Amino acid sequence: MKEIIAVIRMNKVGPTKKALVEAGVAGFTALKAIGRGKVVENIEIIADRKKQLLAKTNPEDPKAEQVATEFLDGRGLFPCRMFTILAHDEQVQTIVQAIIKVNKTQHNVGDGKIFILPLLDAVRVRTNEHGDAAI
Amino acid sequence: MIMVRAIIRPDKKDSVLQELSRAGFNAATVVDVVGRGKQNGIKFGDIVYDEIPKSLIMVVIEEAEKDKILDVILRHAKVGENGSFGDGKIFISAIDEVYTVSSGLAGL
Repeated sequence: MKEIIAVIRMNKVGPTKKALVEAGVAGFTALKAIGRGKVVENIEIIADRKKQLLAKTNPEDPKAEQVATEFLDGRGLFPCRMFTILAHDEQVQTIVQAIIKVNKTQHNVGDGKIFILPLLDAVRVRTNEHGDAAI
Repeated sequence: MIMVRAIIRPDKKDSVLQELSRAGFNAATVVDVVGRGKQNGIKFGDIVYDEIPKSLIMVVIEEAEKDKILDVILRHAKVGENGSFGDGKIFISAIDEVYTVSSGLAGL
């Protein structure tokens, strides 16, 4: 048994839910969270995205550039969705690949992380089943 | 790799995150949670508050950096010199694998 914690973009929640069902996941828990990632040191990676963001802002706003940079280089916190999924050992790779497939974008950074944790036990409240039977 | 989950006071969240970033742990996920601790919440006469707001900070790091991150959180999350009830807890769990979605590769 493994616990998969996936932190993903807010606007990818719908496709992710669909992909999870297709990957055979019966249940999951989703939470709203805020997060940030590794600091981006190579500015070229985020240059394109920064241009796109700045095009949407007021060009006379002196703070626009700073806000966009902080948003993209990982220093500011931004909203994301945290999925918690319980899975059997052999399902893990299928689920991970399914999540990666629908969440990957062309922006190079900020697509999220997937963590896989060992799980000691799980119990179904209704029937008191333990272990793999509870998932 | 290990996952550090720290449940701290919401008003200490910003300073802890700032100090974590300064210490080289920029990546973090934050969730607002409610809960109670060993003291069973706060009692004022007959009124009991047992759903106290806290912030949950999740950070995944290499195991070798555990002491460093614990030091940062413990130093900046407490109230007063010796700490107070309600300052929170830190949980550490094992991580088997990590994937970065952007690259699709394993690793932090």
